[in-house]
Amino acid sequence: MTRFLTLLNKEITELMRNGKLIWLPVVLMIIGISQPLTSYYMPQILDMAGNLPEGASITIPTPTGEEVLSGALSQYGTIGTLLFALATMNVIAQERQNGSITLVMVRPVNEWQYLGSKTVAQLALLLLSLILSYCLTWYYTNLLFTPVDWKVMLSSLVMYCFWVLFVVCVTIFVGTIIRQSSAIAGVSLLFLALISLLTTLLPKFMEWSPGNIRGEATKLLVEQQWTESAWTVIGSTATLSLLLFLAGVMVMKRYRRY
Amino acid sequence: MLVNIDNLSKQFKEKRAVSNLSFSINEGSCIALLGPNGAGKTTTLQMLARLLTPDSGAIQFKGYAEKDYRPLIGFLPQHPSFFNWMTAKEFLTFAGKLSSIPNAQLQARVQETLTFVSLEEAMNKRIGGFSGGMKQRLGLAQALLHKPKLLILDEPVSALDPKGRRDFLYLIEELKQDMTVLFSTHILHDAEQICDEVLILQDGCLKWKGSLPSLRKEFDLLPIKVQTEEPMNGVIEQLEIIEDYEYIDAKTVKVRLPEHVHHNELLQELINRNISVTHFEIMQDSLEDAYMKVVRQ
Repeated sequence: MTRFLTLLNKEITELMRNGKLIWLPVVLMIIGISQPLTSYYMPQILDMAGNLPEGASITIPTPTGEEVLSGALSQYGTIGTLLFALATMNVIAQERQNGSITLVMVRPVNEWQYLGSKTVAQLALLLLSLILSYCLTWYYTNLLFTPVDWKVMLSSLVMYCFWVLFVVCVTIFVGTIIRQSSAIAGVSLLFLALISLLTTLLPKFMEWSPGNIRGEATKLLVEQQWTESAWTVIGSTATLSLLLFLAGVMVMKRYRRY
Repeated sequence: MLVNIDNLSKQFKEKRAVSNLSFSINEGSCIALLGPNGAGKTTTLQMLARLLTPDSGAIQFKGYAEKDYRPLIGFLPQHPSFFNWMTAKEFLTFAGKLSSIPNAQLQARVQETLTFVSLEEAMNKRIGGFSGGMKQRLGLAQALLHKPKLLILDEPVSALDPKGRRDFLYLIEELKQDMTVLFSTHILHDAEQICDEVLILQDGCLKWKGSLPSLRKEFDLLPIKVQTEEPMNGVIEQLEIIEDYEYIDAKTVKVRLPEHVHHNELLQELINRNISVTHFEIMQDSLEDAYMKVVRQ
């Protein structure tokens, strides 16, 4: 356990020193608050963009606060996921490429301690960014649109955190197999996209799919109730993430060369 | 005996890097692993450090039941790379914690090790700004931090300038008293200076093993070269102190003396016989000759 904490401490210090702990929350906050801001100023934006014939009138219904928040969730689902995968792709590949992993693995460190420290540190970073960004978005939504109850906001946030967990576990697992960081991001994103695609194509068979998380989170916002399907998705995502982590440990144990 | 290595083999895609390597390391010895580039030295050391899984064979530390013997070894890779954002002190503290050095002793031990490799002035600087020699010394520091039984060094001096090399060899010389040292090199002179035993590898096979004097002896080397003004025919044959000799021409001869005879005695004998010596040389490259003979076998 001490070794795990030592490694975790090193990971967190690294995140602070290389500035990831600053830029990732900032970028995610910008992505988040752009949603309520663009929704609010949409008529003006269209007006400024011009190109509309004289006398044309467009009426855009003002969205509710819940709709704006679910719009933000959909931003996290696309640009956010890309960012998550890009932020995570390097954590193992870099140390394998420059060889600094050898000076760690030459000491009595277990594979699960190594991988666990990476996963936990990365989760901490991404979840912190997500929470900051989502809370800020919620604040702006309340200012500009109809207020959203904090409990509703929180439950959709908790739901969405499982998607981050899944993204991190997928990317780290792929990172144990592939050495090239760009390929790691590519393969992980392809896999995540495939899961989302299958979820929309085969809704009957994919009720458990982590691809449903955003839908469930939106449902929590709009309908404001925890349904049984929410629990199914949470359960299956947590299990899948655990399995991916264990698979990553197995892959590392079978490394013939670090 | 400290470690027994039995029948170690490793195959990379096309190439057999190490094949059926067996040897043992005695406690307290200093062993050099010699061999040309690509002979399998690094592969062997990496397998010993458990960074590479052998295809077959076993490595057994005497009196250590657990399979994972990593607490017993310290390893310095050929090109050590660190976390460049850390300072030297932070890195050693990190490494020490991973090796379970008790917290109470950790700071003192880090300090002591940094002083030993003379990095105490740079200990609060980022490793990213270190020179090659400083990194190498920090690499040595992390390898010996937890007082391992076996210190494995992969080409520890090949990347250093002459002064750095001398300092580094001096450090190893000092470490020899406390731990068993195994290092690879392709510079024979370094091996000669500090180690008691050599292993010569070629194409993944162990070609020769033993002490350096016995290497000289086995390959029948004549390390003293004498040149005189007068022809020496008949004189050399009479000298009882000479073990073996070989004429290059009538005035030049290469000889070997038994171990208990000092080379001055030969000079004395020649002068006593009124022979004017114009050249008397103890050839340093004799070891190289022996090495070449082993490798060409």
